[in-house]
Amino acid sequence: MADSDEEYVGDVTDDEDDLQVTRKDRVTTRKKKQRGGAEWELARTWETLVEGADGTISSTVEGLLEAGKRKRLLKDTTPLQRGIIRHLILALDLSQSMSEKDLRPTRYLLTLRYAQDFVREFFEQNPISQLGVIGLRDGLAIRVSDMSGNPTEHIEAIQSLRTHDPKGLPSLQNGLEMARGALFHTPSHGTREVLIIFGSLLSSDPGDIHQTINTLINDKVRVRIVGLAAQVAICRELCTKTNGGDETAYGVALHEQHFRDLMLDVTTPPASYSQKESASSLLMMGFPSRTVESSPSLCACHSKPSRGGYLCSRCGSKVCSLPAECPSCSLTLILSTHLARSYHHLFPLMNWVEVPWREAVRSKACFACGLPFPTGPPEDQAQTVENPTKGMSASSRYECTACQNHFCIDCDLFAHEVVHNCPGCQSKSIPSVNEVGNPDGMDITV
Amino acid sequence: MDTIDASEHYELGTTEIAPSLLTVIIDTNPHAWATIEDALPFSKAVANILVFINAHLACNYANEVAVVASHLQKAAWLYPVSHHSQKPADRDGDVVMNGDSNGPQTSKYRSFRLIEEQVNRSLKDLLDSTSNDDFRSNTSTMLAGSLTLALSNINRRTIAWAEEHGGTKPDEVAGDGGGLATANGSAAVEDDRSLQSRILIVSVSGSSDSAHQYIPMMNSIFACQRLRIPIDVCKLSGDAVFLQQACDATKGVYMSLSEPRGFLQYLMMGFLPDQRSRRHLVLPTRIDVDFRAACFCHRRVVDIGFVCSICLSIFCEPPAGNECLTCGSPLDAGNLGGKTGSSSEKEEEEEEDPPSKWWFGGWDANVGACDSDSRALNIIILDLFNEGWNLH
Repeated sequence: MADSDEEYVGDVTDDEDDLQVTRKDRVTTRKKKQRGGAEWELARTWETLVEGADGTISSTVEGLLEAGKRKRLLKDTTPLQRGIIRHLILALDLSQSMSEKDLRPTRYLLTLRYAQDFVREFFEQNPISQLGVIGLRDGLAIRVSDMSGNPTEHIEAIQSLRTHDPKGLPSLQNGLEMARGALFHTPSHGTREVLIIFGSLLSSDPGDIHQTINTLINDKVRVRIVGLAAQVAICRELCTKTNGGDETAYGVALHEQHFRDLMLDVTTPPASYSQKESASSLLMMGFPSRTVESSPSLCACHSKPSRGGYLCSRCGSKVCSLPAECPSCSLTLILSTHLARSYHHLFPLMNWVEVPWREAVRSKACFACGLPFPTGPPEDQAQTVENPTKGMSASSRYECTACQNHFCIDCDLFAHEVVHNCPGCQSKSIPSVNEVGNPDGMDITV
Repeated sequence: MDTIDASEHYELGTTEIAPSLLTVIIDTNPHAWATIEDALPFSKAVANILVFINAHLACNYANEVAVVASHLQKAAWLYPVSHHSQKPADRDGDVVMNGDSNGPQTSKYRSFRLIEEQVNRSLKDLLDSTSNDDFRSNTSTMLAGSLTLALSNINRRTIAWAEEHGGTKPDEVAGDGGGLATANGSAAVEDDRSLQSRILIVSVSGSSDSAHQYIPMMNSIFACQRLRIPIDVCKLSGDAVFLQQACDATKGVYMSLSEPRGFLQYLMMGFLPDQRSRRHLVLPTRIDVDFRAACFCHRRVVDIGFVCSICLSIFCEPPAGNECLTCGSPLDAGNLGGKTGSSSEKEEEEEEDPPSKWWFGGWDANVGACDSDSRALNIIILDLFNEGWNLH
């Protein structure tokens, strides 16, 4: 190291010291980022456009749209292990720097829009987690929505922000302190996370933010930041320190899509926690039903009179809200709908396959929505128009391999991302399917 | 900022009320209809439903309707029917009108007539196509399938409607449906301006019939919840566990009719208002909800079950070999949750955070994690938690 200057990296020896290794790593990661940006800027989108036979590009444009939809779909359908409890505070920068228009329409509106997507996606991925939203504005941290497991509550709160304009300077420290206050009492074996969307290049703090960082580390709060402007040293330090030296927790958005990707990355449960909880067990749980009594009675949990409540399925004592542990018999009481929310991860709908023209004649319209399919090209041209783009069906038909029905791209997308059911398999009882189990995977259990 | 964008200017233009799409799912299970034959024959019920559909269409000239049959062995469209059978009728529509002019229904509003004829025709086709084997081998109904079909159609209509009315942010509506669509936008504001959909299930089949469709049912319910489509249930006989949960989750109306003869009256009074009117009404929904779940192993509907901590599968009894049937992970069945002797020990609650003692790291957080209508954590944690917020 002593006799080599900064540029000299050619002779790598075994005893090369750590400093250089880390520096090299950093250089490569930065290079990778830069290259990502450059590729984006140099994407030659015009080259993919090919004029159709009629001299317009509409067919290509439609094809590209469809390919884009399809690309998001083709994901791994192996069942995943889930069940991680996360506690996350989403902190949104609501300061004046958010009114910049470098991200369309403005940073502020885009952030609000993506924040709603984030909330929705977060609860899809982490059905039994909790989320809270705070905002950084005028040097203060403001509560946008309280910690809860109900996505619509958060989405409505975020939407109500649209009517306000971003104002003042942000204070990272105040935001972090409020987030810490909200996360402080959460059980320590769930995660405690903060995601900050930070558009400013400064933080106007009342005190020493480094002390706040230290308390965050003590409380095991992990902070991730998505920057919208440029890299900020304190953000970097904050993320690195609270994530145990991991620098990937801080990302700066290059463009709208990158911003979205950075945010939605956070919705996947953090890896380090999944191994720790690997000891699995079986718990007896009760799924109580909600009752309403004609006259109020005391609930077993708070001894407060109430008319509504849930009766423990084992001992019949009344608790006022779920989930809870039965105060008298210690049975865990839970709403079955909360468990069921994650079942589509367990039994994912398998990807549908593209249908070539020669098989496409079987169907004239989408099985689910009745949208008419394009009719095939004449026989002699059939070979030439096969497979314009990978993953996209030339005939605009997608086939479920289980029920062999054909669907349009919108239904494909809808079935895989929203309903998680195949309309064909569910609406036809094939005798074998009914006996062995449903094609959605329930047959594993038999 | 918004005022500079002059978006309010555009909003002023769209004062017309968005239409609503009503999807009626008719449970056509003959076994179940036979049990209420004397109170409400199927033909009369269909006639009542058609009157109700006409009332819905009369509310707004642009209102739409779709009818799905949830039959024994399949779920099928009654209206609109898929294109290959509908197209010829459309093409020579003039001829059909001429032929009909002899009939008694010439004075009928055209869309009423079209729907009535179509529903009756496809219902007849459906019943004719039911073989004796189907009748004998099935006693349940394909509710999950018809829900999925209904949702696909709603998705299609929502996209199509948004495209036709380009001003109303089509990407947002589509994005809301797509979930991951790139230009996904705010959902609440467009509520008034986009197609409003709701689903009405006319159900007669018994409660445990749909247990084998538990997961697809739940998936559909959560999709409705996500798209804010209320599921209304009109139960003509008995009670259905999962339909109660569906109404509860999607804020729909659940009515179990004590007197099926008043079917039409119930429909008109309870189910006609659309989402916009419902905001101003006290809905006749039920507050007590049966939240039991179906187990994965025997499809029993249980109120106490064994849950795998990894995949959250529900079993009605500890699975054989102490291995989860779904994810295959070995299960430690030693700690079967709580003490069977019901001595109430307050000390245990007092301990704030004993992870080693609680069987799975996640679950006691789970105890507080997911109640949708309150942010209450565990009893104790709740108080501490509020203090935590109030610090600031």
